[in-house]
Amino acid sequence: MMGDQFRKVEQYSPKSSPRGARSPVVPRQDSSGTLKTTIILGPNPSIVPPSGPFYLMKEPPGESELTGAMNLMAYYGLEHSYSKFSGKKLKESLSSFLPTLPGVIDAPGAQDNSSLRSVIEKPPIGGKELLPLTSSQLEGFRLHPGPLPEQYRYINQTPIKKHKNKHKKHKHKEGGIPSQETHITEIGQDTHEKKHKKQKRHDEDKERKKRKKEKKRKKQKHSPEHSGGLTPSQHTSS
Amino acid sequence: MMIPFIEVIGKNISMTSLENLETQLELFIENVRQIHIIVSDFQPQSQTVLNQKLQSLVHGLQEVDKLKSQVQDVHVPLEVFDYIDQGRNPQLYTKDCIEKALTKNEQVKGKIDAYRKFKANMLLELTRIFPNELTKYRAKRNE
Repeated sequence: MMGDQFRKVEQYSPKSSPRGARSPVVPRQDSSGTLKTTIILGPNPSIVPPSGPFYLMKEPPGESELTGAMNLMAYYGLEHSYSKFSGKKLKESLSSFLPTLPGVIDAPGAQDNSSLRSVIEKPPIGGKELLPLTSSQLEGFRLHPGPLPEQYRYINQTPIKKHKNKHKKHKHKEGGIPSQETHITEIGQDTHEKKHKKQKRHDEDKERKKRKKEKKRKKQKHSPEHSGGLTPSQHTSS
Repeated sequence: MMIPFIEVIGKNISMTSLENLETQLELFIENVRQIHIIVSDFQPQSQTVLNQKLQSLVHGLQEVDKLKSQVQDVHVPLEVFDYIDQGRNPQLYTKDCIEKALTKNEQVKGKIDAYRKFKANMLLELTRIFPNELTKYRAKRNE
């Protein structure tokens, strides 16, 4: 196809024409299908159209009501959003957008295979009915008592915002899993450790032992359900 | 939680369906977190609770699945996933989008204005050189 086109161009090229280049002013029948007009300049300038006036004139494109000449932000009522986002400095991290989400969520998703892209690229098996687990299936979840091995005990607790601390003194209801308290004790420890950073190490060890004792006491006091209610960070610290 | 980057098509889709989904997902995450705590230092007496939690996990998935139909018309730009995958605030995507749109809007407006000026100047100059033709032209164009 391309070759044909080139050949065609060659054929009609003035250079290859046996008659040579023709003057554009010579009036002739336009058989090429292109639109041509002649503009004569000089003392009496005029346009010489091949047939009728304004041979080149086309219908102007239809006037569009909505163009880029308009303030589209105002048109779509997004000025509020604009002022909201342009004015304040947004925090970079994902955790600042989802502060209640547990775990370290600011790390790249590709690192721990938790990226949303991977869900799109490799969609999980779906379309099956979700049924509650049978007792035999639950047997598969029978666990051995004791803490998890070190390699699985990664700490993924996010710092909880201060306003959540108001629940500090609340006691858990029977059968419930301590959720807030575990965070609070964790935060408490963190701040405590920061304060005493410069103290000698043996002081810290003493404290840790003390905490361990308290924890044991707590464990005994709590209902059986609470026994498992420890954060992984507490395990590592003990 | 704010979901600024989604595009909700059709006015009949209220934000409540999104809020329902959000609540359901939060409950599900909380459930998983609690399971995490239970299994981190497992006690024999926690087996019953763990079993209950696992069942509520299935129930949570069922609830999320039920809400699927309510959010069919919600469109999320794929680029926003890149922000989330990089551990970045997805609101930054919204911000970037708004800023880009504004810049483009200004550029296009500049081009349109320049073409308008060009047209006006062109007509002015042509009128000066070809007054008769331009009169005919204007008449033809109903200008």
